[in-house]
Amino acid sequence: MIDPTAVFIGFFIITGIIATVTGLVHSKSLARILTIVFTVMHLLFTTYCWLHLGETALGFFTFDPLGVLLLSILSILTITTVYHGFIYVRNDTPRTYAIYHAALIALVFAMSGAYLANGMTVVWIFVEATTIAVAALIYHDRTPASLEATWKYIFVCSVGIALAYIGILFLGFTVRDARLLHLSFDSISGIARLANPLYLKIAFVFVLIGYSTKMGLFPMHTVTVDAHTVAPAPISAFISTTLMNVGFLAIFRIYALFSATSIFQFMNHVLILSGILSLLISSGYMLKAKHNKRMLAYSSLENMGIVAIALGIGGIGYYAAILHIILHSFSKAGLFYQIGQSYKVMGTYQLDDSGDYMTLYPAGATALLLGLLCITAIPPSGMFISELLLLKAMVQGGQYVYLIITAVLLCFVLYALLTRVLHIVFSHPREAKSLNRQQVNPWQTVTQFILFGLVIFICFVQPYQLRELISNIIKVLPK
Amino acid sequence: MVITLIIVFSITLIYLSITERFTVYAGLIGLQGLILFALSLLELRRITLGTLLFVAIETLVFKVIVVPYMLRRIIKKTGQTKVSEHALPGFYSLLFVTVGLLLSIIISLSLKTQLSTLVYFIVSFFSIYTGLFLIISHRKIFSHMVGFLVIENAVLLLSLAIGSEIPMLINIGILLDIFVSVLILGIFVMRLKQHTHELTLLKDD
Repeated sequence: MIDPTAVFIGFFIITGIIATVTGLVHSKSLARILTIVFTVMHLLFTTYCWLHLGETALGFFTFDPLGVLLLSILSILTITTVYHGFIYVRNDTPRTYAIYHAALIALVFAMSGAYLANGMTVVWIFVEATTIAVAALIYHDRTPASLEATWKYIFVCSVGIALAYIGILFLGFTVRDARLLHLSFDSISGIARLANPLYLKIAFVFVLIGYSTKMGLFPMHTVTVDAHTVAPAPISAFISTTLMNVGFLAIFRIYALFSATSIFQFMNHVLILSGILSLLISSGYMLKAKHNKRMLAYSSLENMGIVAIALGIGGIGYYAAILHIILHSFSKAGLFYQIGQSYKVMGTYQLDDSGDYMTLYPAGATALLLGLLCITAIPPSGMFISELLLLKAMVQGGQYVYLIITAVLLCFVLYALLTRVLHIVFSHPREAKSLNRQQVNPWQTVTQFILFGLVIFICFVQPYQLRELISNIIKVLPK
Repeated sequence: MVITLIIVFSITLIYLSITERFTVYAGLIGLQGLILFALSLLELRRITLGTLLFVAIETLVFKVIVVPYMLRRIIKKTGQTKVSEHALPGFYSLLFVTVGLLLSIIISLSLKTQLSTLVYFIVSFFSIYTGLFLIISHRKIFSHMVGFLVIENAVLLLSLAIGSEIPMLINIGILLDIFVSVLILGIFVMRLKQHTHELTLLKDD
C-alpha cells in the first residue's frame, strides 16, 4: 500500500503541473482534457483518504472524518461544476477558457488542503490560497459588476484573513511556553485547558469574524453575497457550498479545540448570536430581493446561520449542524446550476422580468421546484430532518426563546423563497421586455435531479455509515 | 528603544486617521514599515540568523520600499490626491481614535501580561482599531487599502511579540504581506482606476 505522504506529494505535484499547463497553454481541448484528468484524480484521492481514515501525511495533513466528509462533497460537486463549467465557458476565448479552468483546479486543490490540514496555521494558508483562486473565477465575465465584486471579495477576505491570523497569534500566546513548532490541533488541545480564558475568547472571536468571510456568516457576509451574485453560475454553486464549508470547518476546528475549556458557554452564545443575526439579515433581504441569484446567495447566509445556531445549541444540534452542511451543499449547488440555466432560458436574473418558466422550460422548472422543496426543508427534503433535529435540540435544552426567534425568521425565509420561485415558474413577467432567450438541452438538468434526489433520499434513509461518520465527528464535543 | 519606536508608531496611527492627503498616507505607511524593520531587528535577536535576515529583508523590501512605491504610483495613475469631501472631519476622527487608544489600553491591561508584551498589545489593538476606522469612515478605495495595510502592520507587531518563541508565526505572517502587495496593490487597484471613488453597482434595491 502506498504511503499517505507519497500520495499527498504526488497529488500536490500533479495538480501543480496540471494547473500550470492549463493556465499557460491557451488551448480549449487541452484544458478540457486536463480538467477531466484532475477531476478523476481528485476522486481517486478522496477514495484513498477514505481507505486511510485517521492517517497523517507530511505531518501537516490528517485524513480525519470531518475533513474527508467535506472532501467527498467537494469531489462530487467538482464533477458537476466541471460539467456545467464546460457549458458555461463554451464560447469563451481560449485564454479565458484556460484561466477559468486553471483557477478552478487551483481552488479545488486549496480547498482540499484546507479540509485535511491538521493545524491552525496550515488551514490559514490554504484559506488564503482559496481567495486568490476564487478572485480569478469571480472576475471571469470581466464586467464592471464582476470587477467590483472581485475587488470587494479580495479586500474583505484579506481583512478577514488578517483578523483570523490575529486570532491564531493569540492562540500562539497561550501556548508560547510550550515552544511548539507547529500549531497542530492535537498539540494545542491539551495546553488550551490551562490557558488564560480571556486570550482564548479573543482568539475565538477573531477567528470567527475572520473565517466568517468564507462561511458567509454575519458579520462578514456581505462579500459572499456579492460574489455569489456576480460569479458564473457554476462557480456560484461551487463557492456557496464547498467554500462555505471551508469556513465552517475552520470555525468548527477551533470550536472543538476550545470546547473542553472554560470558554465553552461563551463560544455557544457567540455562535447563536451570529447565527440569529445571519437569519435576521437574510430573511429581511430575501423579502426585498429583486435578483434571482442574490436571493439564493442570501439563502446561503440563512443556512449558515442555522448551522451556527445548531452548533451553539449543542446536544443533538451538533448532528443537525453536520447533516445540514452536507444537505445544503447538494441543494444549493443544484439550485445555482438551475438558476444559471433559467438565465439562459429567460434571458434575465431580474425577478420582475422573470416568469413563465414552466412553459419555456418544463424540465428546468420542475428541477427548480424540487430545489425549492429541498432548500426550504419541506418534506421529503432531507433538510427537514436537520432542521427538525435543531428544533428538537432547542426543546431538549429548554431554549424556547431561540426556538421562537428561529421559527419566526424561518417562516419569513419560506415565504420569500416560495413567492419568488413560484412567480418565476408560473406567473407572467411583470415587465414585458425583449430579452435574449436561448434553448437548454434537458439532459443538462440531469445533474440537478441527481443532487436533489440525494437530499430527498436522506430524508427517508440515513445510511449507517453516514450516521457513524457524523457521530465520529461530533464525539470530540461535550455531550 | 523598543518603547520609543512603538510610541512613534502610535503617533503615525493618529496622524493617519486625521490626514487628508494620499501622499501623506504613503509616507506614513513607509515610516511604519521602517519602524517595523527596526523592531524586528531588536526583537528577534534570539532566533536564527537566517530567519532574522529573511524577516528583516522582507520588512525592508515590502513595507518600506514596494508598498509605499506602489501607493505613490496609484496616486499618480488615478489622479486621486485627497480623501472624499464626505469623509469625517479631522476633529471627529481625532476624537474617535483617542477613544480607540483608551479602549486598546484598557483591553491590553486586562490581559495581565508582562510589560514588554503589553506595549505590543496596546499598539496592535490600536492599529486594528485605526485600520477598521479608516475602512469604515472613508469612502474611497485608496483609504480602504491603507486601512487594511494598517491592520496588516498590527499583525506583524503581534507576531514580533511572540516571534522569538514561535518563529514560524512570523514567517507565515509574511505570506500576508506578499499576498497583499502583489495581489491587491499590483493587480486590482490598477484595474480599478476608473472606479476609485465609490463602488456602488452591487447593492440591494
